[in-house]
Amino acid sequence: MISPDLKKQFLAIVDPARWLDEKEPLFCYAYDAFVEESMPDAVIFPETTEEVSQILALASAHKIPVTGRGAGTSVCGAPVPVRHGLVVCFSKMDRIIEVNTKDRYVIVEPGVVNADLQAALAPDGFFFPPDPGSMNMSTIGGNIAQNAGGPRCLKYGVTLDYILSLEVVLASGKVITFGSKNIKDVTGYKLAALFCGSEGTLGLVTRAILKVVPVPETVKTIMATFKDLDDTANAVTDIIGSGILPAAMELMDRLTLNAIEDKAGLGLDREAAGTLLIEVDGVAEACDKQIRQISEKLHAHHAVHIQEAGSAADRERLWTARRSAYGVFAKLAPDIISEDVTVPVSRVPEMVRRIVQITDKYNLRVGVLAHAGDGNMHPMIPADKSNAEEWERVMAVFDEIFRAAADLDGTLSGEHGIGLAKAKYLPLVMDPGTIEFMKTIKQAVDPDGILNPGKFV
Amino acid sequence: MTDQPIQNCGKCGLCLSVCPVYQIIKQEQASPRARLQLIKAFEKKDLTASPLLKDLVSQCLMCGACKVVCPSGINHYARFMDMREQLARSLPEPPAIRSLVYLLAKEYRLRMGAGLARIGRGLTPAALEKAYKIGTIPVSRFPKMNRRPLRSTLPRVSFARGNPRGRVIYFTGCATNYMFADTGMATVHILTQLGYEVVIPESQTCCGIPMMFHGARDRAVVNMTTNLTAIQKAMGENEGLRPKNARDAAAENWDAVIVDCTTCGAALKDEYPALMNIPAGSSHAAALTRKILPGMPGLIARKTRDILSFLHDHIDDLAAAMTSDIPKHKVIYHAPCHSKNSFNSLAKVQALLTALPCFDYIPVPDETTCCGGGGTFFYEYPDISKKMMAKKLAGARTSGADFWLTDCPVCRINLHGNLSEKDNRIVVHPVTLISQGLGK
Repeated sequence: MISPDLKKQFLAIVDPARWLDEKEPLFCYAYDAFVEESMPDAVIFPETTEEVSQILALASAHKIPVTGRGAGTSVCGAPVPVRHGLVVCFSKMDRIIEVNTKDRYVIVEPGVVNADLQAALAPDGFFFPPDPGSMNMSTIGGNIAQNAGGPRCLKYGVTLDYILSLEVVLASGKVITFGSKNIKDVTGYKLAALFCGSEGTLGLVTRAILKVVPVPETVKTIMATFKDLDDTANAVTDIIGSGILPAAMELMDRLTLNAIEDKAGLGLDREAAGTLLIEVDGVAEACDKQIRQISEKLHAHHAVHIQEAGSAADRERLWTARRSAYGVFAKLAPDIISEDVTVPVSRVPEMVRRIVQITDKYNLRVGVLAHAGDGNMHPMIPADKSNAEEWERVMAVFDEIFRAAADLDGTLSGEHGIGLAKAKYLPLVMDPGTIEFMKTIKQAVDPDGILNPGKFV
Repeated sequence: MTDQPIQNCGKCGLCLSVCPVYQIIKQEQASPRARLQLIKAFEKKDLTASPLLKDLVSQCLMCGACKVVCPSGINHYARFMDMREQLARSLPEPPAIRSLVYLLAKEYRLRMGAGLARIGRGLTPAALEKAYKIGTIPVSRFPKMNRRPLRSTLPRVSFARGNPRGRVIYFTGCATNYMFADTGMATVHILTQLGYEVVIPESQTCCGIPMMFHGARDRAVVNMTTNLTAIQKAMGENEGLRPKNARDAAAENWDAVIVDCTTCGAALKDEYPALMNIPAGSSHAAALTRKILPGMPGLIARKTRDILSFLHDHIDDLAAAMTSDIPKHKVIYHAPCHSKNSFNSLAKVQALLTALPCFDYIPVPDETTCCGGGGTFFYEYPDISKKMMAKKLAGARTSGADFWLTDCPVCRINLHGNLSEKDNRIVVHPVTLISQGLGK
């Protein structure tokens, strides 16, 4: 609870238009794209680092839980304030401070929407590679907190790989800045790796210097269909294993493809048991050669049909199919759980088989979708949370999927994060000593545990 | 596709990326996702009808962009409309809005109101007109009322010129009838030039959408019944046929029901068929079944075309009918929400503006962003509306265009109202320039 007196102190930091504590708006900060909800006591919208610092100092002094929030598009419950308290929403700290393509960096505030950054870079022929499914609305701050990924991270790497420098406000209100504008920088600890992916449990990022890269000259996109899901997954392993590095390599199974086709009518092959959407980029000649090599591999694994996008519109059509996957599944039932266990790419065929076996065993539908090239699986299960019996089966399925991933040297999450969804499974992939070490860090940085409490650490 | 229940909202947040209000306010409670969440809480009785709840639900342009983008298939538009109706029951609309609903509910009131407004404008001192604002717009920048309502100046049937090609019904809407006669004259002129016989149904009235936005569904239903009856009658009478089944068959023979306002169009296309679902036993239901043939709302819905998409079907004929020496006007376009989201007409309009010799079309980057008009939104939420308009104005001013084209009367009022006299830019419906280009 936030007392009237404390509220007055918060209102000395921000004007009343940037403070919400009435029941109606608070309902709107209880959720992200995950299924669990919990209401905060108040929401505050800082506009400067100084304000964030004062807010955290005050929250610290009164031991008020503080949960950071960008656009609330996390799919693991990371910004859900399970211990209530204060939500610090960064949507109004949304300035792009500098675009410097000469030195290949941008300086941004955390509330900048990923797509807005891309739009600001496009005229100079540059882009910021992390491309989470939510990029049209999710914020850079959220991308950093969750170490977000996306399809093209197969080739380009994830958010962490693009952080040059961060300004972070610690729980005490103290502001620290680390890193520099240099791509090579081994001065002291690589602290970006500590805060990026910490899901707001160690500090609140208030400014970032990010690496940006030139847009490749050519992009080529192909879609291949298979009669057999095993063949599909084997093709992935073979292509990546042979040294070819596509920009993206997306796998969809029959259920996913048909659900998409039902909605979008894009002319996809409904009979295909597995489909791969593969994109290469770079110099035109190199792209052509890669496409030839990839096509040979696809044929070797009995691809039935390979089509190349002939135009930008055609490419857009294929990607629309892939991007609408989550949405069409969302339509099949009131709730949808999409996890993102990740395995080494050589284990993709086995992981796909196990996902299908496990969901069959519990008599549930599953759409198998994956950023397959980097082993990042996205099994999606449509279900109804209000049906307790069914929900129990859903939980059991994910329990087994997490175990299967661990068994295959995989990990719990490739890009969504741990949040509320997977906290209890940490011991599957992390030894007690490491979990203890994370707690030690947390204790040192946030001794009162006010930052995003109730989560994985 | 059938609408999904709001429980299916996966809270993915995709709607945040297209909601013009969220883009300005940048707070979750102003997003479509949040409004669904609030409706859910209200339905579960976790929230009761409060002025704040009503405000959060009403702080929406009803543009329908969220519905278009929603991967879960939620019909936000319909859900928001239902919620507005529920809240209006316990929390009345402000007096100005209630008067508007009252005015629109009866054609004679509207006629009288328009007449009075014209006299009023004539009597108001110029200085006062400039000083007073309605919402974001100075009174002096509001459109003057037509000298006479458009429909009273046009024949019920306008015959085709040259080779007859077909027949259309023209639903004029009230804005064209009372304010923007130029749009109506141009629409009839172009259609007849193309070889269409244009029939204007008598006793048509406000489409009902403004009332529905403000929760007065019962009044909207009365208007909708009046309009369906009027269109049905026009379709049948023109055939000179009496028996019901013959009239049914005759209705199929009409090429289109033309609207020049896509909001009216959205009503005819989406809301009228839903009318038939109102519970049997109510007095409205009885009136409906007595007056309207069962298949009629569906048929009218299928035939409803916005004028610009309809003209796009005839793009070659229109281009051929214009001589190359006609004046080329520098134009920019503003896409109204219902044109984008209900009629999906953007590409067609762009094609028209590009192909027809009367236009020198300058695409501006923000032509599809919302102007903040939104029915009465500019009046109810002037601060938000003003911010939306600011970006658009900047784009228009640097474009060098002489005309700012738009196919929605509220957008037209709003764009014109926010320009100043110094801007020297004329806001009209694209048909006005097409009509001029065609000549007599």
